[in-house]
Amino acid sequence: MPSNRPIAPSTLSVKDLLWQIHWNRDKCTLCGSCTAVCPVKALELGVFRKRDVRIAMGIQGSADNVFSIYHGIRQKTDPAFACVGCGMCSMVCPNDAIMPVRSDETDKQRFHINRGGQARSRGGRRNSTDSLLDRIKFIRISMLTDPALDAGRHEFQIRTLLGRILPPEKSLEFSRNNGWMPPVREIYPLIIGGMSFGALSPNMWEGLQMGIAYLNEELGMPVRICTGEGGCPPRLLKSRFLKYVILQIASGYFGWDEILHAIPHMKEDPCAVEIKYGQGAKPGDGGLLMWHKVNRLIAAIRGVPPGVSLPSPPTHQTQYSIEESVAKMIQSMYMAWGFRVPVYPKISGTSTALAVLNNLTRNPYAAGLAIDGEDGGTGAAYNVSMNHMGHPIASNIRDCYLNLANLGVQNEIPLFAGGGIGKNGNLAANAAALIMLGASGVQTGKYIMQAAAGCLGSESDRCNICNIGKCPKGITSQDPRLYRRLDVEQVAQRVVDVFLSFDTELKKIVAPLGRSTSLPIGMSDALGINDHDAAQRLKIQYVV
Amino acid sequence: MQEKYYHISGKKDGIRLESRVLEERIQEAVAGGLRNLEIDAFGQHGIGGRLWKNGQEPVRVRVLGQSGQRLGAMGFPGTRIEAMGPASDDVGWLNAGAQIIVHGNAGNGVGNAMAQGAIYVGGNIGARGMTMTKHNPRFDPPQLWVLGSAGDYFGEFMAGGIAVVCGHESQHSGIVLGYRPLVGGEFMAGGIAAVVCGHEYQHSGNVLGYRPLVGMVGGKVFFRGPCSEFSRTDAKEVAIGSEDWNWLCENLKKFLDALGRPELFAQMAEISQWRLLAARTPQEKANSSLRSMSSFRREVWDKELGSGGLIGDLTLLERAPVPLIPAGDLRRFVPVWENRKYLAPCEGTCPTGIPVQQRWQLIREGRVDEAVDLALAYTPFPATVCGYLCPRLCMEACTRCEQLMPAVDISRLGRASIQACLPEMPEIGGKRIAVIGGGPAGISVAWQLRRQGHDAVVFDRSETLGGKISSVIPESRIPREVIDAELERVRKVIPHVRPDHDIRREDLIRLQSEYDYVVIATGAQKPRLIPVPGKERMIPANEFLAQARSGAIDPGKSVVVIGAGNVGCDAAVEAHRLGAQKVTLIDVQKPLSFGKEREAAEKIGAIFRWPCFTRQITDQGVELSDGEVIEADTVIISIGDVPDLDFLPENVNTERGFIAVDENFRTSDPGIFAIGDAVKPGLITDAIGAGRRVAAAIADLAQGKTPAVESRQIIDRSRVSLEYFDPRITGFESIDQCGAQCASCGTCRDCGICVAICPQTAVSRQELADGAYQYTVDESRCIGCGFCADACPCGVWNMIENFPLE
Repeated sequence: MPSNRPIAPSTLSVKDLLWQIHWNRDKCTLCGSCTAVCPVKALELGVFRKRDVRIAMGIQGSADNVFSIYHGIRQKTDPAFACVGCGMCSMVCPNDAIMPVRSDETDKQRFHINRGGQARSRGGRRNSTDSLLDRIKFIRISMLTDPALDAGRHEFQIRTLLGRILPPEKSLEFSRNNGWMPPVREIYPLIIGGMSFGALSPNMWEGLQMGIAYLNEELGMPVRICTGEGGCPPRLLKSRFLKYVILQIASGYFGWDEILHAIPHMKEDPCAVEIKYGQGAKPGDGGLLMWHKVNRLIAAIRGVPPGVSLPSPPTHQTQYSIEESVAKMIQSMYMAWGFRVPVYPKISGTSTALAVLNNLTRNPYAAGLAIDGEDGGTGAAYNVSMNHMGHPIASNIRDCYLNLANLGVQNEIPLFAGGGIGKNGNLAANAAALIMLGASGVQTGKYIMQAAAGCLGSESDRCNICNIGKCPKGITSQDPRLYRRLDVEQVAQRVVDVFLSFDTELKKIVAPLGRSTSLPIGMSDALGINDHDAAQRLKIQYVV
Repeated sequence: MQEKYYHISGKKDGIRLESRVLEERIQEAVAGGLRNLEIDAFGQHGIGGRLWKNGQEPVRVRVLGQSGQRLGAMGFPGTRIEAMGPASDDVGWLNAGAQIIVHGNAGNGVGNAMAQGAIYVGGNIGARGMTMTKHNPRFDPPQLWVLGSAGDYFGEFMAGGIAVVCGHESQHSGIVLGYRPLVGGEFMAGGIAAVVCGHEYQHSGNVLGYRPLVGMVGGKVFFRGPCSEFSRTDAKEVAIGSEDWNWLCENLKKFLDALGRPELFAQMAEISQWRLLAARTPQEKANSSLRSMSSFRREVWDKELGSGGLIGDLTLLERAPVPLIPAGDLRRFVPVWENRKYLAPCEGTCPTGIPVQQRWQLIREGRVDEAVDLALAYTPFPATVCGYLCPRLCMEACTRCEQLMPAVDISRLGRASIQACLPEMPEIGGKRIAVIGGGPAGISVAWQLRRQGHDAVVFDRSETLGGKISSVIPESRIPREVIDAELERVRKVIPHVRPDHDIRREDLIRLQSEYDYVVIATGAQKPRLIPVPGKERMIPANEFLAQARSGAIDPGKSVVVIGAGNVGCDAAVEAHRLGAQKVTLIDVQKPLSFGKEREAAEKIGAIFRWPCFTRQITDQGVELSDGEVIEADTVIISIGDVPDLDFLPENVNTERGFIAVDENFRTSDPGIFAIGDAVKPGLITDAIGAGRRVAAAIADLAQGKTPAVESRQIIDRSRVSLEYFDPRITGFESIDQCGAQCASCGTCRDCGICVAICPQTAVSRQELADGAYQYTVDESRCIGCGFCADACPCGVWNMIENFPLE
């Protein structure tokens, strides 16, 4: 940079940036890989002038200035090109000469990423490593008190139920009075949460679906995946794999006319329909798929012309109350498949969750309630929504479960928890904790992105550029140059690996509790935490 | 010979002995030399184990009645235990060498953790037989023989030993140990294991029970009879070799003899009835037997969905994996050689539009004459203006100034341009244009038109062409001979008509009819005055300068110049030359004068004052609004000039006293153009540039085209790399040095750095036919790293996004 340039308020130096490129001139071979791969053009070749003042020992003769020129890798300091710390430069560097390093102090960049009055938005996560779920311990280890089981030896049937489960007496009465019984699905308790075709690249989406199909058909694990809002490729709709899929309908209703057109050709019913009212990453906010991402493929699946922006409003326009939402939406969605497919709403974690739940308990059609806590991830959200909006999942799910227990219906309407499960890598432990707090199952997205596709995001504001279509791993990009970095089969294989290892870990947790065929839903006597307030709030044991 | 057995009862006085007491009696008997014991058991624990006090002598323990759990537990070599009826759980638990015979059925856990010895069971066994068994290489492997069948979870975690399940009259072929029998039986305290209860049985016959061999890591299992399932991840079926068969036959005979059933041998010694399972090796387990994902994709996924998978019906786009650093179409960015796409700052800011950086390029190439001559394509006054009179906007804009490096000095090249040769002019033809006014603007347009072969005639009443250049500019600013030389060059090619009177409206209308176009370049000769009392005492600066030039005026000792612009400075300097001792320049605002003129005025000691508002002019001098009087023998006014436009036809619009024109200097009459100070007061270079623009517009019109406007933008200076240049140069000693230090912004200087820096050897230089050259990129090699663009000193290379793949 010219040293005497005029500065503006947003003129930053490398020191001010969140991610700083450490480059080693001795190791660098100037191969150009790092500048070619950098997703945000943060790197450039710098032309450097080096000055040597040559003075002979003893000050003999005159002093000389000798200039030389060298080239090297330099980081741009314009916030528009700020390094996002993804580390792709390190990944491609043949000599390990380059690496982004996080600033050792609070960066100045954060104060200048609202140029033009545009508040920062990003993809990714909440940027907080804090996790209450990680602090929950499983303190009930049955060795001699219960028939302790062996996770490796015993036969397990890790399943949960999605759908309205009526107790026998109600069931008989209901059946007699209505001539219909609510459909119930027996599924695996870890669900891949809604990530749309559009938010995810075609290769990522197909990889996930393929992995799910493999788990079901080759390994007999009834794992389900939610489409997210953005429609569903017609081929999938018309295939037998549809039964592994939870179709999501959200406020934009994208792709639903295509889904309807496919119904007459469906071989199988979908697993369920999820009505999205909110999500954990941006509670109370909608989304906008920018026109430049709506290519022909996305457009075809969503049933829109290419090149138009697609808004998903924060709310469903024609619903004005919980009663209406429940009655109208659930009825409509049930009708689409002749009342054979369970329908349940998904909301953001909120202090008003109980109001929703209470309403659902009075509606025999409600197949469950999914709650997405504040740690949910996303492809795009305003910084402020992601970081500061929403409710932690643990207490939300706990309150809901205990409320159901008070009503004596805790086994009738399943709760599904999402948001931050496995955020620090502890997928099975977090899932088990939520199940024991009262969830019938859990939904996860970010962990799958990390484990199945190698997402580079972290809770340290690394990468998190899912929203601009430049995902360096090709997970959230619609650019074939990027998403072809992702091998569909390898993603599928990783999905399988994740579920198999999750299954083992979950067994390692529930086996010592003596559980092998029924999930320990709400088995909170097995939970402890070394935080007294949290223990009281969650009504679990305080252990130190 | 019938052995004599010493009888030990498990009861005394009708009361069952504790297991501890019975154990003590057995141990005492052996220690006392007894070798054949007969125990009347009542469910005591662990009968017959731990007998070592007999040393090398064999000891026999016959168990009558109900043996308790763990019959023969921790048995020793040399011990032979024979239960005449059934046995409870854990027969031979942790057996270390005893031979244990059970004539009836045995309960769960037979042989659990056994390491040596053999267990023969004449009936069936319960769940978890042969589990956690070992083979210690110091000893023979342990054996479990079952005449009937095994219960569920047989061989769990089996780590060694040989099990033989004969399937004779087993509970199978209809009677099977059902699904997870006797789960509670694991906790049975004693008694006979109810191994035949068979409730919940769902299996279609399996002599090894439900889920056998889970976790098996060693040993083998011979069996006879149906077996449809076993843990295939842990065990595998192998062929029975002759060694195996010989072993089996030999030991089967011993087994049957021990049970007293030798007659069964014949029906069992048929190899086709037997199968053998062995543990998989760790290496074998590592090789997953699961279907590969690519097979799943091919055989299942694509078969159900169709070719191309999930979206094969919606797109033909290739989606196979690509590496991170691809070349060709898969590059994200593509370099483009944008030679001369952008204007250099010097060129872009030069009102005349002289491609300054191109002239330096010629200098670098040693083509000094061409560099000099090139200017004449743009201006008829390269020496006069570039060398002397121009404030040199090009140098102010020079990219080098950004780094406090001196701008490349155009005045050197400008002065050298006095040598510029008149180019050969084309034959006159084409359009006829009347140019009214022979100042810089008029000469420029006539010059350009003439160079294109058009017939341009300049109408000017002055004796010589040149306008202000020849009449107003003080000689202190430029040597007379430079102006004369350049005007002489002009005179050779431009016809000069001297009308006998100032052009009037009817003259103009007549000219319009005689010529294709009329260009008004009459300048602004009418001084602007201020309407204050005594304004008649002021002398306009141009008038003063003209008179001063001919020595026809004596300004006196003190002079006030109202208007401290550059013309005011010229007047001040001239006044000083003519004897004024005190020269004051006043202005209503901070003076706008700059450059040479300002410096010259300051040098003669002129005083600059502002803000000063003139109230009136008296014989004393200038009285300001605050009452102060600045003494003056002469008051010169130099607040600019306005054109005299009385001759304009009515259809030519004016705006605030000047002629209104469009971007091509065309007036509201399409046949009339107007340039120079008649349009807007400006620099000489502005006037020359305007002339060039009009000439270009007329040339375009002559070809029936809409006049083009220069669309090129000035290059983003940050694209230029000044690091290649010596920052310690503070001035220039020669034209050659100037050329060398010019970064050639936006125009390729043919240095070849891009070729050298490209890590992929993708950039190359090509000679073109006419001596020109170009740099190109081999896209099959280029990875889009951008090194060429970043390293280019001139900023010629640019990186653009590759075409969208969709």
